[in-house]
Amino acid sequence: MNPSTSPAAAVPASAPNAAAAAAAPKARPASASSEVTRIALLVGGVVLAGSAAQLFVAPGPWALVASALLAGVAVFALGFIVSGKLRQTLIGFRFVAVLLVALAVAAILGTLILQGKPEALYRQRYGAVGDLIVALRLDDIFHSVWFGGLIALFAASAASSAILRWPVNARTAGFFVCHLGLLTSLGGAALSSTLSVKGRVDLHAGGQSADAVAVTRAASGERAVPLGFDLRLDRFDVVRYDAEYRVGYYAPRRVAAGDRIQERWGLKASFDPDLARHRLPGGDGFRIKAIYPDFAIRPRPAAAGAGEPALEVVLEGRSQWLFPGGRIDGAGGRVAVLFDRVLPAAPAVPTAVLVSAAEGKVVVRAPGGESAAPLAAGLELAGGLVRLEDVIPSASREAEYTTRSEEWRNPVVLLEVKEDGRAREALLSAREGGAVRLARGGALVFERREDEVKAYRSEVTATAGGATRKAVVTVNEPFSFGGWTFYQANYDPKDPTYSGFEAVKDPGVSWVFLGFALICVGVAWMFYVGPRLRGGGIKRSPAPTGA
Amino acid sequence: MLQYIFFEHPFFAATGLLYGAATAAYAAAWRSTRAAVGRLGTAFLAVGVALNVWLVVGRWIEAGREPFKSLFESLVFLALCLGALYVVLERLYRTRVFGLPAAVMLFGCMAYALAKWDAEIVKLPPALQSPWFMPHVMVYFVGYAALAFAAGVAVVQLLASRFPSVRRLTAMRAGTMLTGQALDLDQITYDVVRFGFVLLTLGLLIGSVWAKSAWGDFWVWDPKENWSLVTWLIYGAYLHLRKVKGWRGDRAAWLQIVGFAVVMFTYLGMGMLPTAEDSAHVYTGQ
Ligand code: HEM
Repeated sequence: MNPSTSPAAAVPASAPNAAAAAAAPKARPASASSEVTRIALLVGGVVLAGSAAQLFVAPGPWALVASALLAGVAVFALGFIVSGKLRQTLIGFRFVAVLLVALAVAAILGTLILQGKPEALYRQRYGAVGDLIVALRLDDIFHSVWFGGLIALFAASAASSAILRWPVNARTAGFFVCHLGLLTSLGGAALSSTLSVKGRVDLHAGGQSADAVAVTRAASGERAVPLGFDLRLDRFDVVRYDAEYRVGYYAPRRVAAGDRIQERWGLKASFDPDLARHRLPGGDGFRIKAIYPDFAIRPRPAAAGAGEPALEVVLEGRSQWLFPGGRIDGAGGRVAVLFDRVLPAAPAVPTAVLVSAAEGKVVVRAPGGESAAPLAAGLELAGGLVRLEDVIPSASREAEYTTRSEEWRNPVVLLEVKEDGRAREALLSAREGGAVRLARGGALVFERREDEVKAYRSEVTATAGGATRKAVVTVNEPFSFGGWTFYQANYDPKDPTYSGFEAVKDPGVSWVFLGFALICVGVAWMFYVGPRLRGGGIKRSPAPTGA
Repeated sequence: MLQYIFFEHPFFAATGLLYGAATAAYAAAWRSTRAAVGRLGTAFLAVGVALNVWLVVGRWIEAGREPFKSLFESLVFLALCLGALYVVLERLYRTRVFGLPAAVMLFGCMAYALAKWDAEIVKLPPALQSPWFMPHVMVYFVGYAALAFAAGVAVVQLLASRFPSVRRLTAMRAGTMLTGQALDLDQITYDVVRFGFVLLTLGLLIGSVWAKSAWGDFWVWDPKENWSLVTWLIYGAYLHLRKVKGWRGDRAAWLQIVGFAVVMFTYLGMGMLPTAEDSAHVYTGQ
């Protein structure tokens, strides 16, 4: 669309925009191309001069801030002293746009070139280009003199354009607030990068308290800084999410590993252990017919008189059901358990456990002598060697699946898998693993999800003189005291008492945030409040100027 | 896979289908003069957005946390933001011309979400358990939705300057569109970008406050941070260039499309960067 016919050009001249009028340098013939030249000279010159200066000054917080400050003040002053043209260029929209793009290019470079790595790495990774990167100090773009130069132009431009639009009124307030915010943030960032100190504090619960920070980053180059108070760790916990059980559907994928093709199994879908019917990505279906949180196989109970007594014995970790006349022997023939209606005769083993169902009695014959106890589930005998797990007074010889309790101690599901209309059943245990392979290639498993970490939680006490303060520090909830802020930063799976903190002292950060807030308010004002104050409710921008 | 989605996640399937149907209807509305065709597009899209609300809310309840953790979840949420914003803007500008690009993008979001399907809901790691997480993502995604819409308008604008049929669509009364007036595409893009820019600014601010409270630094020149800054700078340049002669019309539209490409790269492309290994921000397959 041709701008001259756009409604934007039809902003009534009777409602002039003071700021825009000031922003527009008097349109002179051929001013555009000479302005472009001046912009190119300014931005290009700053980058080149900065790169040249870089040969003598290593990049770093001071290099950045000093170059930005010096160049910024110089350009700003020159703009007002030397030539009106320079100033007009500096505050022109075209210049601002070019500058913003130049900063964007720098930011992009910083994501394409690894930053702050050892010099040798660049040579190794990029060869001859790596040498060039190091020579131009593109390994530390955001602390370089030329980047400082761009910031200088930015600040000089923001300051000049604001000063030239003085005084503030309600309509231009957004613009001023925004620019004040930009300068405030930059100032805060300068304070932050030169004066902030960052370091580590390592503590053990109940161990020694710390009174100093091992510095990892400070423009001053200090190694250790005293805190000015004592910090103690009272307690450290790794809090975990509750364990979860899921039915997982895995499918194989062929991937090239070198010159061979490998099959790699990946989780494709996952289901809550519920009783609903489910469809799988492969097209097959399944449902869980039964869930046993604490799985056991045991004889089916029968009506009194219709069955026979049954006893579950755990011997050396192995569980077995015995019916009358049954016997179970330990390894090496040193112990045996015998079960019958009446008390069985003792076999020729050193330790014999004899159980009588009718008498409800257990007799243990051991080298040390004989003892007797009433029959009950949960009985531990022969020094813990034998455990009577369960007793059923009347049971059939058919087995059934059951759960011992509602606690998820040994979860097992009974699956019914349907493939092409044909159904089959399978038992899957989370503890023992195993999978149901499907004809079409996938597999179903029932598994426990790792108890993932929910929080790292440190309880600390800070003591300064007589005053103490207690606090809980977690990731995202730092603790501030005496000018320092402590962040939960580290833990050691091998040492549960250890907790590592990052300690930061940053006098610039509040200014940065204040500046950000001003930018937000300023921009919103510029867009939504200022235009309405002009009278008409239409959000129309002033027509393009020749600038 | 589709059978599984239809059976196990019918709301997802329905939302995707409705966005697909809206695409078809809005495309037909570009040619047809019957008002019902355009209305059908709006109806499909609006119902799709309603279901999309449920997808996000349902996921929120099921996961017990904000549903923005994985790429899949964020795509579904982005679709919601774009869909809802589109419905509002269709009313505001009284036109259905932009229904086609919007519906295409919505369908694209759902199709891509399908490709990036989450096998399982993941837990929120400690780093994301912050009161800043929700506002940060929400503000950015509404902002991204605005910029996506603006990119759609820019595409229509470029088409209109090349094809008379499209130009007629935006310049005069077409039966299926709500409006009877010629549309000032340049101005619409500009208005919507300004809205998006405010949100980008706010999102950047919130992100930096969050970074400070989680890591102790408000800015670490992480790739994702850098690219968010790049998007902000490019749209900043666009806003300033609007006032420079010669930077309206096609040129502005192209710049707008470049800006949106950068947004998309910031959102999806971080894994391609050599510096990604150091980043705390890159979406993993999970
Ligand atoms: C670096 C120096 C900068 C200068 C000299 C500058 C200058 C200006 C000027 C003169 C205006 C017009 C104000 C008005 O219409 O009354 C303006 C508008 C604006 N500036 Fe800047 N600006 C600068 C940086 C920035 C930055 C970094 C941003 C944020 C990215 C920004 C965002 C805006 C916005 C959003 C507008 C409103 C544009 C519109 O109305 O469409 N400015 N700027």
